Amino acid sequence: MDIATEKTNMPFQVKDCTIITRMGGVETAVNLREMRERIAVCPVECLFHHFCETVIRPTFDDPEFRNDFAIWSARQLRDRVLAERLGIINPYSLDNFEQLRELVLEIVDERLSELVYIPWVPRGRDFRFMRAMTVVFDVGITLTTPDDLIDQLPNFSHSSIYYHFIEARRRTPDKSDDFSAWLDGFGSGTESLRGALEGIDFYYLTLPDLKKTLIQALRSARAEVTDDQQVISGV
Amino acid sequence: MTSKSLAAYENVVGHVAISQLKQLADDLAGARVVHVNSTKTGGGVAEILQWLIPLMNDLGLEASWEVIEGHNKFFNTTKAFHNGLQGNPVALSQSMINVYEETVAENADRLRPVLEEADFVFIHDPQPAFLRHLCPDRQGKWIWRCHIDASHPNRKVWNYLKKVVSGYDASIFSMPHFAQRLEHPQFIIAPSIDPLSEKNRELLQQEIDTTLGRFGISRDLPILTQISRFDRFKDPIGVIDAFKMLNSSVDAQLVLAGGGATDDPEGAAVFEEVQEASQGYDRIFLLLLPSDAHRTINALQRASTIVIQKSLQEGFGLTVTEAMWKSKPVIGGNVGGIRLQVYNHHTGFLVDTPEGAALRIRELLRHPEKIRAMGKTAQEFVTLNFLLTRHLREYLTLMSGLQSGLQNHLTAA
Repeated sequence: MDIATEKTNMPFQVKDCTIITRMGGVETAVNLREMRERIAVCPVECLFHHFCETVIRPTFDDPEFRNDFAIWSARQLRDRVLAERLGIINPYSLDNFEQLRELVLEIVDERLSELVYIPWVPRGRDFRFMRAMTVVFDVGITLTTPDDLIDQLPNFSHSSIYYHFIEARRRTPDKSDDFSAWLDGFGSGTESLRGALEGIDFYYLTLPDLKKTLIQALRSARAEVTDDQQVISGV
Repeated sequence: MTSKSLAAYENVVGHVAISQLKQLADDLAGARVVHVNSTKTGGGVAEILQWLIPLMNDLGLEASWEVIEGHNKFFNTTKAFHNGLQGNPVALSQSMINVYEETVAENADRLRPVLEEADFVFIHDPQPAFLRHLCPDRQGKWIWRCHIDASHPNRKVWNYLKKVVSGYDASIFSMPHFAQRLEHPQFIIAPSIDPLSEKNRELLQQEIDTTLGRFGISRDLPILTQISRFDRFKDPIGVIDAFKMLNSSVDAQLVLAGGGATDDPEGAAVFEEVQEASQGYDRIFLLLLPSDAHRTINALQRASTIVIQKSLQEGFGLTVTEAMWKSKPVIGGNVGGIRLQVYNHHTGFLVDTPEGAALRIRELLRHPEKIRAMGKTAQEFVTLNFLLTRHLREYLTLMSGLQSGLQNHLTAA
């Protein structure tokens, strides 16, 4: 049974994106103090890249932390305390990237005040500030109902999931994902679906894991909704 | 090499990856793209261009590949550039620079019409870089693609090359740590491998066995292999030292196999040194292979128990990616792009010394279950991120970006 909605909504055009990384235009950091100084002045795009685009970047590794500052602290500075404090930051829980900058600086300052020396790295292990350019393109898939979304999600590329569910939070005024914003347009019938999406702790997942989680969450929510609708309609 | 169509890759990378390429390329349809390098055969750059050009054409771009020509003096100079970019002390005289500029100027006379009309010109490595100065009526975007680890270049070499490349619209490096500060945007594109090429496609066991038999290599003993040019930066002597350290503790064979490249005049001298170092060891096999011996290299990699790439300096290290694609753990030098690919205990081991290599070879040979697990992980990462479709996608993204003023943007639907 399909999900009944109280309103119709505009079709959802599925998009995909690719990124290409580029140097951030900031000097490299060879010790923690330099790292602090660079973070204080680097473009917001660098913060976004090192916190949010790590998940879409080609890699040979599935690191234990999601942001590059935490990874560098753990692997190169060999400071696990700092790495863990930075690693727990979820940039999407903050209002904007300036707040993120302040939080990172506060953590680094605190660590600097605890240490009796400035941790540094040898040549070649310095931190390089990066940013990325994103190109978005139309996939050619149009969704018209909430069921379309649930049924088509397995066909989405990982980068499409990234664009609509993660990157969207940067470009939408209420920092919502594209799926939730679109489902909202159908009215109260999609509340459970939106609730299921809201409950996903996405930041710490890889894109393949996020895709699986999204599919599972939406399918479960649909099963609940359609069961309820059957009860109400007396089917 | 037979060029393959995009459709041929769909079975390996999936429909979505191919579809992404087509959608990205729509915006670039008909764009004239010229790649220029210094050799048609041998080395990673030529291998990349052999698949990149036909696939760009298959996507509706008008791509072509030009090769600059020169004599020994020219290639000695460009080899000095190469070594200097990698940080080696080199003597760079004004007469060498004159030979370089004059030779590139001769090539420019031949190539100028096609380069000046192109929408995008990709200049690979320093050899053809001076061409841009000789094409005053250029229409398109010029991109310098540096495949070399230029993180700590010889200052004299870099001071010259920086002037040569500074006018480009963008440059591309293989890793962030290879990049030099330049006034134009510097992009990062890691290289990739072609899963359907002669060097990487599946082979029948019979062909692998035949290849081993041809060189007298036993199927019954573990095979340790390093595939690379006979070049000091690849440290073949260090690999032999590591093998000698295994001594009687491990019964294994070592294969050092390398092709030559037409732009590398030092190869013969290094090969002689390696021959000398391996004298008296009948389980060390030195194979000087022609530059087109791709199937032989493929068979050797597939027959290997462990692949070694103990470089002292390395660009990206495509032989590492190739080995990982074939589900082999890699013991790699702790340098350059190898560090990007090999993670200790996950996909292999990084080592700094022959002693470290010997230690890890011994560890892996004694734990075959680790060899299997690492090989599986390695193959998965290559499939996801380091096949040519990702590489091509990033080239298209860069071109689309340059066309749109380097802003985040939506392509025309």
